[in-house]
Amino acid sequence: MLLLIAPAGIVLVLFQIVPIVFGANASFRDWQLFNPAQTWVGLKHYLYILGDSTFLTIVLPNTFLLTFLSVTLSLIGGLALAHYLHRNFAGQWLMQTIILLPQMIAPVIGAMMMRWVFNDQFGVVAAFLDWVGFGPISWLAQRWPSFFIVILTDVWIWTPWFALILLAGLRSLPREPFEAAQIDAAGAWRTFTHLTLPMLRPVIAVCVLIRSIDAFRTFDVVWILTGGGPARSTEVFSIYTYVETFVNLDFGRGSAAAIIGALIILVVAGAMYKVAGRVADVAR
Amino acid sequence: MMALCAKKSDRRYRWTDALAPGGRRALFLLATIAIVLLFLGPIVILVVTSLRPGWAVFYIYRGTDFTLQNYRDVLATEAVMHAFVNSFLVATLATIVSIGVTVSSGYMLSRFRGPIPRAWFGTIYVFRTVPYISWVLPLYLVCYHLGIYDTYAGILLPHIAVHICFFSWIMKGFFDGIDPSMEYAALIDGCTRWGAFLRVALPSAIPAIAALGILSWLYTWNEFLFALILTGHNTALITVTMAQFVTELGTAWNLMSAMAVMAMGPAIIITLFAQKYVVRGLRI
Repeated sequence: MLLLIAPAGIVLVLFQIVPIVFGANASFRDWQLFNPAQTWVGLKHYLYILGDSTFLTIVLPNTFLLTFLSVTLSLIGGLALAHYLHRNFAGQWLMQTIILLPQMIAPVIGAMMMRWVFNDQFGVVAAFLDWVGFGPISWLAQRWPSFFIVILTDVWIWTPWFALILLAGLRSLPREPFEAAQIDAAGAWRTFTHLTLPMLRPVIAVCVLIRSIDAFRTFDVVWILTGGGPARSTEVFSIYTYVETFVNLDFGRGSAAAIIGALIILVVAGAMYKVAGRVADVAR
Repeated sequence: MMALCAKKSDRRYRWTDALAPGGRRALFLLATIAIVLLFLGPIVILVVTSLRPGWAVFYIYRGTDFTLQNYRDVLATEAVMHAFVNSFLVATLATIVSIGVTVSSGYMLSRFRGPIPRAWFGTIYVFRTVPYISWVLPLYLVCYHLGIYDTYAGILLPHIAVHICFFSWIMKGFFDGIDPSMEYAALIDGCTRWGAFLRVALPSAIPAIAALGILSWLYTWNEFLFALILTGHNTALITVTMAQFVTELGTAWNLMSAMAVMAMGPAIIITLFAQKYVVRGLRI
């Protein structure tokens, strides 16, 4: 039995547990990259980050807002698309292919695409706004427009994921309750809120749990679209950690940020796991 | 009979009834058009841009000048071809190894009970939750000390570690769906536990393994953060090379689009020809 997990266990220990211990050690030291003197400074880095106004007023709210909005909007979009696909029509396969594409291509490419679409001079959106009669908007030069595009891109990438998993969920539901609802002349909306949603609840709970964990660590989309800018106003947790380490070259502070972030998401995910466990057998 | 009558006459008023006959169909058509525009639109724009000569990438320009020169230019850039080869090798090797490792780990989680499987599941769950940046950041220094920074091993093994956390429980789900009685029969007939795993359980899990293999390959190909931190000049991967182009080439959108279209080629091929497997692998 142990032999079955031995290879996986060794890789996991060497490449996840050892680095985390290493990073925890570094987070207590004055560890400038390529500076050999690594003096012990205790909690200095932790106190710095927990008192850093960028971290508290921009990075944390951004991270939670991105997680919340991205998960909520993709869930709603995914439910709609799953209902759209959950019927027989010619071209169903084609539409499923089109819906699946954003999930399959690299987030880096997705973000580049959106950057081009929202380019303030030559982008399609600029041309459309021009045609409607609005002036050009420099999307990536202000905080909220940039943040809006980040969320839009993330939702664009992840709605297909929700749609396909929820579609599989819809297909596995028993038919009888829906036939009964039809006989009782329940409208489409009532059927949805009183039957579909409660019956899909386990699937939705697992989806939201997994996706929230992943959305919390979003890096590539934000990095390509805004790089955290303008003026660090769209930084999320992963970007903040990366910038502290590889731009400000302070490995100690970066490690402390990495550990604070990991602790936050572990607590949040633990709480969500409890809630999700009530509606679904998450561990199975 | 009663039911059928009720369906026809007593049906509650729906807002779609206000539409002319065929209104529902029109609504469906509108939804289809909206989905195509939203999900396929940005991709089409990118493909069109990649076929434009450099002076004609502006959206406002609606001429008929198309050229393959951008692709020729990209293919002639040595760094790009190097990155393509690297990405292909890393994705393929990582997939082969991590499938081998996760199959046994998932099988163990599915078939054994007791404290060790439970502890293993807990470990996987926790490390699935820890944000990438929290352990990839110190991993950079660990790899540096081990002398595997900027080698294939240095980028392959972290990917495998991630796949262990992501795919072990999906694999467990696959094995849960396979009736173990065949294995028990094999055990009674004198087969060893390993024999039962390799000769009975494994063959019936092949379609599921193929599905996961395809997804694993694509995720590795698309991955950005590991590539950004853990690769240097020797093992540069396509996503990072592309991201560098975004900053270096700034306005050469035609070249960037050509590169992006080439980089999303595998994703499109997989979505078109292996969709059945993708949908199967996405099940959580």
